Amino acid sequence: MQHRVKDNYAISGYFVFFLIGVCQAAANVFNFQNHILEYAGQDAWQSILLMGLSLHLVLWMVYKMLGHPAQDIMDLHRTIFGKFLGNGFSLLLVGYFFIMALFYFRAYIEIVQVWVFPNLRTWAMAGLLTVMIYYVVSGGFRVVAGYSFFYIALTPMLLLLYFPIRQGDFHRLLPAFNHSLPDLLKGARCTSLIFFGLEALLVYFPFLKSPEKNAKWAHFALLFATFKYSAIIIVSLMYFSQGLLKHTLWPTLAMSKIIELSFFARFEYFYIFMWLLTIVPTVCISIWCCTRIMKRVAALNPRLSLPIILALLYVAALMFSEQTELAALERIVNTLGFYFVVGYIPLLFVIACFAARPASKAAE
Amino acid sequence: MRPDLHKALSELTKSDDFLQTSLTIKGRQLHFTYYTTLISHEQFHHDLLSIFQLANGELRDLQDLTALIPIESVQASSSLEDISRRLAQGAIFIQLAPRLDEGLIVDIADFKLGQRGYNDTENEYSVIGPKVGFVEHIDTNMTLLRRGLVTEKLIFEEHVIGSYSRTRVAIAYLDGVTNPQYIDTIRQRLADLDFDVIFDSSLLEQLVTDNSNSPFPLLLPSERLDRIMYAMLNGELALICDGSSVVITGPVNLFSFIVSPEDYYLPWILGSSFRLIRYFGVAFSLLAPSLYVAILTFHYTVIPRDLLGPIIESRTNVPFPPLLEVLFLEITIELLREAGSRLPTKVSQTLGIVGGIILGQAAVQAALTSNILLIIVSLSALASFTTPIFKMSNTIRFLRFPLILLASLWGGLGIMIGLMFILGHLLRLKSLGAPYLVPVYPFRGQDYSDSFIRSSLVLLSKRFSFKRPLSSTRYTIRKNKDIGDDYSNE
Repeated sequence: MQHRVKDNYAISGYFVFFLIGVCQAAANVFNFQNHILEYAGQDAWQSILLMGLSLHLVLWMVYKMLGHPAQDIMDLHRTIFGKFLGNGFSLLLVGYFFIMALFYFRAYIEIVQVWVFPNLRTWAMAGLLTVMIYYVVSGGFRVVAGYSFFYIALTPMLLLLYFPIRQGDFHRLLPAFNHSLPDLLKGARCTSLIFFGLEALLVYFPFLKSPEKNAKWAHFALLFATFKYSAIIIVSLMYFSQGLLKHTLWPTLAMSKIIELSFFARFEYFYIFMWLLTIVPTVCISIWCCTRIMKRVAALNPRLSLPIILALLYVAALMFSEQTELAALERIVNTLGFYFVVGYIPLLFVIACFAARPASKAAE
Repeated sequence: MRPDLHKALSELTKSDDFLQTSLTIKGRQLHFTYYTTLISHEQFHHDLLSIFQLANGELRDLQDLTALIPIESVQASSSLEDISRRLAQGAIFIQLAPRLDEGLIVDIADFKLGQRGYNDTENEYSVIGPKVGFVEHIDTNMTLLRRGLVTEKLIFEEHVIGSYSRTRVAIAYLDGVTNPQYIDTIRQRLADLDFDVIFDSSLLEQLVTDNSNSPFPLLLPSERLDRIMYAMLNGELALICDGSSVVITGPVNLFSFIVSPEDYYLPWILGSSFRLIRYFGVAFSLLAPSLYVAILTFHYTVIPRDLLGPIIESRTNVPFPPLLEVLFLEITIELLREAGSRLPTKVSQTLGIVGGIILGQAAVQAALTSNILLIIVSLSALASFTTPIFKMSNTIRFLRFPLILLASLWGGLGIMIGLMFILGHLLRLKSLGAPYLVPVYPFRGQDYSDSFIRSSLVLLSKRFSFKRPLSSTRYTIRKNKDIGDDYSNE
């Protein structure tokens, strides 16, 4: 079994709030609305609440699985499936985190290209961002965690929702409770995209100091995301008619266009640029997870694996030229993430419950 | 056969200020070897020559001489290496013929020679508070500190750095306050050091800093006595370097560079607001020129309609893109600043008028720049001067240029990318192994009482926790009984 990470590399346990929070604040804040709408209509906020609250159970499972004695998912895989098969499963996770990173990375570039600079070359921006990610991730987990801390400075932006609320119409939320449970669940399934980020906990768990004591912070992060997204979708439902909302690609940005102060207008630029504060940490966390898994499984030095992964990320980001391709990627990510978080983690939990018991008895 | 030190010393150097004189006193011949430029001649005549001549007893051997000399630093030695080193530091070597294989090293160096007599804080001025600063002499500086911190806990630990300069460097700290981990770190770094001449403590700073490839200063240089004392009280160590009027302290964080001692001399409400103004100044001078470039090149739509009019009006005749316009003015200001710091004080006043008023006005009239930009650039130059530590204001001044270039490339996105790079860099920086961005990251809630604002002295009784002091209490708070509000006394 792996020992705990040395104290000077570890971070305070409550930082899990920012690490989970930043991932859940990433690019999908801008365009999560229209997916849910399809099934849940004006009751979409219930879908989000449903999903968000049920994920607390998953989070609880993660904390339950790890720490005694398995420190992270690689340990867990090895004890459950044996060394060979377990390592194989762990390596599959590299692919998972890579696709996650790729999605956030490319989706942000897409937003910039659509909203700000239509002629911006993907290779140029991807290149600069890749250099930045390299610089941050090569600083180690403490730097990655520090990076993710600063997204909290964006939270006051939620107050700007006041402007669309003023323009909105409360009656668009009515009739409430008009959708059946299966519809709501279908809607909830589409919202899974916005809650990704907690699965990285499986990898960086040993880097947290006294993690069990600080489990509440992970739950707070989830609760905060649930609250945030519910608020945004309620405001969007009030602001747009459902027909318009369905055909608006980035409703959150569209809403922010109406804000105008005496010295500043067009807030969507502000939103997009500031959102770099969440995108870069999110990608960094995923990329760091990739290198960490490879280090634990294949004993590959991050000095070597990080440039390779980033080169792959860069090339893969260039492959997407059409909006439709990106939408396809989003669908894949959504399905993959949904089954990983809602399917695989509980499954692993059940197996671990049965497998870990004899192991701990043997240890005694 | 014992070596003849007298002869060996005479072959030591060809320098003309190296003297070997002989005197016959009471029938015994005495040889004196010294550098005339280093010793105090007054001491030589008063404390050595006249004492020997007036002595009652006989001068039989070195013990007799030692007993006579009224100076505490007397040492018998026969090692040529030792003698030559001490001679170069201002000692005199006395031999009693015919024993030429040994002698006495007497330290009569004149330290006042070549030292300036006043110690005003010229570069870190404050209106309120003491104006006592350090000078270029390490003993004076140590005296100043010793007088300020009257405690046996103040420890000076001397090292000698520099193969040619043999500069004395002292680590000063408060025993039982400063974390020994930091002292060990700096001790180790000084021990590992090999350098020829330490000209200034800022050179030493670059040699012992955690990351010499960073534009940010990682140890805080200051010439103010009160500032260094305050740093040491909070558990920092100070590095005093002979020949430099600047003392450096560490570990520090980014925010200590925005602190001015004056914050503590003013009531806390005023102190805090002026400190906030300084933070605003840093943000403004860093961002204003690049935001101008970004907005006028790409995002003119973010300017509300009413504001767009004046901006367009002032730019109608300017033939350049915003980038060139900004670079032109920024470089002008940098030239002025650079010239101003090289010129004698009296000339630089004239320069200020010529540069600031005439050039600026003429540039606008010649339609090289717009009025609004002139305001922005001069304001940002002004704002960059509010940073109390010159090294940090240099950093901010430098960081503006990459941001301006990035802004001209990708507008607001470029600025944000630049800032993210700076943020990533700051997160990686360490000062003597302690993180540079505390108390923001890692988060230390208690230390916010004295970072962005300077709160009341009641809240400052604890030392900064991020400096990991061995004892956390600076003072205990006792409320004066006669201070109370009228309402509750009525």
